[in-house]
Amino acid sequence: MDCHRCPLQEVSGGGRLCVTVGNPNTGKSTLINALAGANLQIGNWSGTTVERLEARCRAAGVPLTLVDLPGTYSLIPTHREEDLTRQELLSLQPDAVINVIDAGNLERNLYLTLELTEVGLPLVVALNLMDEAAAKGLTLSPQALADALGVAVVPTVACRCQGVGALLSEANAAKRPTPQVRYHPAIEEALGALTPMIEHPARRWLALSALMGEVQAHLTPAAQAEAARLRQALLQRGLDPNHLIDEARWAKASALAKGALLGYHPTTTLTERIDRLVLHPVLGFPIFLVAMLLTFRFTFLLAEPWIGFIEAVQAVLGGWIVALSLPPMLASFVSEALLAGVGTVLTFVPLLFCLYLALSFLETSGFLARAAFLTDGLMKRLNLPGRALIPLILGLGCNVPGIAATRGLEHPGERLRTALAVPFISCGARLTVFALFAAVFFPGQAALVVFGLYLAGMAIALLTIALLGLLGRREMSYGVMEIPAYRLPPASLLWRLAKTRTLSFVRGAGGPILIAVTAVWALSHLPAGGEADTTLYARAAQFATPAFAPLEIHDWRLVGALVPGFVAKEVVVGTLGVSYLGPEPVEAVAFGEGIQRLGRELLASLEATALAVPALVGLSLAGPAEDDPPGGLAAALAEAVSPRGALAYLVFILLYTPCVATLAALRQVIGRRWTAFSVVYGLVVAYLMAYLAARLLS
Amino acid sequence: MRLSDLAPEHRAYVRTLPASPALNRRLRALGLRPGVAVQFLRQAPLGDPLQIAVGETFLALRRHEAEQVFVELAS
Repeated sequence: MDCHRCPLQEVSGGGRLCVTVGNPNTGKSTLINALAGANLQIGNWSGTTVERLEARCRAAGVPLTLVDLPGTYSLIPTHREEDLTRQELLSLQPDAVINVIDAGNLERNLYLTLELTEVGLPLVVALNLMDEAAAKGLTLSPQALADALGVAVVPTVACRCQGVGALLSEANAAKRPTPQVRYHPAIEEALGALTPMIEHPARRWLALSALMGEVQAHLTPAAQAEAARLRQALLQRGLDPNHLIDEARWAKASALAKGALLGYHPTTTLTERIDRLVLHPVLGFPIFLVAMLLTFRFTFLLAEPWIGFIEAVQAVLGGWIVALSLPPMLASFVSEALLAGVGTVLTFVPLLFCLYLALSFLETSGFLARAAFLTDGLMKRLNLPGRALIPLILGLGCNVPGIAATRGLEHPGERLRTALAVPFISCGARLTVFALFAAVFFPGQAALVVFGLYLAGMAIALLTIALLGLLGRREMSYGVMEIPAYRLPPASLLWRLAKTRTLSFVRGAGGPILIAVTAVWALSHLPAGGEADTTLYARAAQFATPAFAPLEIHDWRLVGALVPGFVAKEVVVGTLGVSYLGPEPVEAVAFGEGIQRLGRELLASLEATALAVPALVGLSLAGPAEDDPPGGLAAALAEAVSPRGALAYLVFILLYTPCVATLAALRQVIGRRWTAFSVVYGLVVAYLMAYLAARLLS
Repeated sequence: MRLSDLAPEHRAYVRTLPASPALNRRLRALGLRPGVAVQFLRQAPLGDPLQIAVGETFLALRRHEAEQVFVELAS
């Protein structure tokens, strides 16, 4: 798991600690990106899947650590992840709080600001998204708001770095605010009795939340008991503390918002104009599908040249090693285990980086919220929010980002059900096996078979979600969510988000993939000097083959290929090739020749990347290169298995653990135990479905 | 009438919120509370959820959630 291991207290030792707090979708990430520049670090909040943005910078010569707290509408959370913000604020005691508020939505944002004045930490308000407010027809006076609140208010446009410098210097000089809300006399009386019993700088806010019935760890048992007694007394007088406190805050927020408003000329915003099209009753879904299609086109057109380049580097390095005339076993280990392992990890990098880039864009631009709105009507039948469809769709490209995208789901139960379903979604790698077998065994109907497999995978995924929903605790899934305004996120933020997410994958999955590739190499090369059918790999496969007889698969070489298929599905075809046709010797490459080849490949990749831009909008200047079907392999396969067995084999490939990388991603999101469950569950489902498939075709 | 009964472009004032504490709190946090003006914007292509405007906030909520919010049409 990619957590920040150093506790914040130590970090803050080097300088001032400053946190950003605000509603979701107020541009907090963009602001911290603008403040931090290249110093931005992205990790996870310890023990959670919530992204944590942190930066170290200098403001007027003073070293400063900036931490972005998760977006929340109120310090009294409506779900677990919002609670992080409250916990961190109360326990960290930062030197300054930057409250980021949406200038175009003052009233709702000021509710949290008022709570922050009660928490009492030094406060400065960033009146962000000033440009959007102006576009909405709002004219605001930051000074009027500052005067009314008694804290500095800095107007900012974070995406254009406007006001960012001023904000930092104000944050350095931030003062403790005075509480702004006067409550009902009965509440104030209760506060007068309760606050002296609380030993915490945020005692007024803590006392208020205790009166609202919240359990706060910072209160002594005596204070807890007193709060409960006061709350009961109020309720008995017919006064509901929750209602009184909430209404008083809203009234004050409303008054502050009105006071800061100089003029308002309502206009139809760009967001509303785009939504009329994107959420259109008829055009909405086609637009959504085209957008998802573009995401995949973008990813594969940009990533493929670089995957090809990495494979070329691997081939050249392997060739050099062979040219060194090392002992054959050592050369084989270096080129087929180490190089192949590192190569497998690296080939994921361009693919994941591009998918994460696209995903970060969809997320921060506001498009993902629209997709969730469109698909909620489908997903609510599975007791999931509409957002849960995105991981399943991304899974079609690669399961790893699909699983990572389940982090966007609020409830752990929703995340678990969706993450366990993603591995059944067929990805690009499984297509290589489908294409080969379908062409050999089902000529003329190949496309239909492949399409059917994709549908079957999707169906099993949805059934898994439904089944786990029946078994698990019933958790209400909400449809309630904010639909934020469309925004063009800064390219630098997207780049950093994609880079961090990709690196986090490499760190988490690199080790397991290397180990798995090395293990498979050892199995297929030991004992040394043996024939192809006496290696450990062959013996294990021969031992397991009777278990596959009910699936009409009788050839140990097919069963054996499932083992490297566990590492990555791309290698299944290659393994079958080696098993049936013998190993392809790695050709020795001279040093100079290798350098030349690398140069050529690099140029070709750069050219292909440049051509990907026109190809994205449909002008295909260079068609994707098709791999030659291995002719000898097709003939060997046709003899090795019947069409029934072949179909069962494909169904098995579709449904069992997709790859080690997926498991590593699963472990990061749902933990070790559930990942182990996923492996077993996948094998059971794969076996049962393959059995059915073999019976289906008579 | 219920929030779910509003027609596109209708404006109304919220009278009461759902009884369920969790939903009630979530709606309040997003600014939907008794007395505020709401405007019905559209329903999703599949008929559910609904998009409404509360002040400057756009909200999505499911039909069965909107059925628990009572409103009064603005004259």
